[in-house]
Amino acid sequence: MSSVPDSPKEGIDVTAVLYAFLFYLATLLLVVGTGMKIRRYAKAPAPLKIPTMPAPRSQGGVYFRMFREVVLFESLFKSNKWIWLFGYLFHFGMLVVLLRHIRYFTFDVWWWVQIIQPFGVYASFAMTIGLAGLLVRRIVVNRIRYISSPSDYLMLILLMGITGSGMMMKFVNHTDIIMVKGFFLGLMRFQINELPMSPVLLVHLGSVVFLMIIFPISKLLHGPGIFFSPTRNQIDNSREKRHIVPWAKKLEE
Amino acid sequence: MKRLIIATIVLFGLAVGMSQAGSVYPEIPMASGEAHPEGNEYWRVNHMDLLRHDRDLTMREGIRDTDASIAECVTCHAVNGLDAKPVTVKSEDHFCRVCHDYAAVKIDCFQCHNSIPPELSGASLMFKKQANTLEVLMAYIEGLSR
Repeated sequence: MSSVPDSPKEGIDVTAVLYAFLFYLATLLLVVGTGMKIRRYAKAPAPLKIPTMPAPRSQGGVYFRMFREVVLFESLFKSNKWIWLFGYLFHFGMLVVLLRHIRYFTFDVWWWVQIIQPFGVYASFAMTIGLAGLLVRRIVVNRIRYISSPSDYLMLILLMGITGSGMMMKFVNHTDIIMVKGFFLGLMRFQINELPMSPVLLVHLGSVVFLMIIFPISKLLHGPGIFFSPTRNQIDNSREKRHIVPWAKKLEE
Repeated sequence: MKRLIIATIVLFGLAVGMSQAGSVYPEIPMASGEAHPEGNEYWRVNHMDLLRHDRDLTMREGIRDTDASIAECVTCHAVNGLDAKPVTVKSEDHFCRVCHDYAAVKIDCFQCHNSIPPELSGASLMFKKQANTLEVLMAYIEGLSR
């Protein structure tokens, strides 16, 4: 029983069906595609011991290094303060904003999501500042402009579009979020519910779908990829223990 | 082949589990009085701006005869509890909280304002929880004749 829609629409809601289809397709491609990429990363041989020094000398140390790398972007900080600043603003802002969005997919909403939820509004500003800084860098810094490819710009512009349309709905042109949540809770139960016909919302959701689809074939794979970097995830124990890959071992016997 | 079978089982399990769940929408209580001419969708989308607009008019500019007041909202939309008295915002049956809990949006209106009708006579007479026992009905009727 659904109490919200005042007058259920007659016939099939084409936009809702289209978006439902797109979201199922995008989720499938995102999960399977990224899974396949991760599998490939995991199976890629690392024949040499090449941790960047100074490197941790124990497994625990590697966990700690990886933690600093993922949570603080340590090596980016050491190499370039400006990129670190904008990149960190963007990534951390996006994390808070994504956590805020959990409220559209769960009911009851978890208590910690309720606490984070209002802060997502401010985090959207951090995201925008970070993305704008990174885009300006690509255009203004000669050396970076020279090595920038269309996909580098595409990612920034796409993410700015998602952030911008999301902020539009918060600050300028509200959307009926009760209906939006009904649509997504419905998708998770294999039912297609009404989607508000708000252009800003459709642009927002459409660009998210596009991002989900291209994620497994884009530079955004640096997310899972960081965990497979030999220079970061190896222990500096080449003196204690000989590093030899299974196929090389066979040749020696 | 083995993988395909596992995937099928998992998908099937998910589908069964998910399709069991009931409504995906909050149960919005009916209000008494006449419906808003602007329509419910308009109010769902814009009520926060309208409330804020009236607050600014009243507090910042001193205009006290705005078109509506929060007391009027509360009067028509009040939900009665099992004792036939309107519930305050502390109850999750309160009309504001039904949607606001659903969307995880906190409201601070009622830190100062009253969340129940100023005059009890204007209260809606509905309660939505299933309560069929005689005692509950008696308590409700007793509450009505207060």
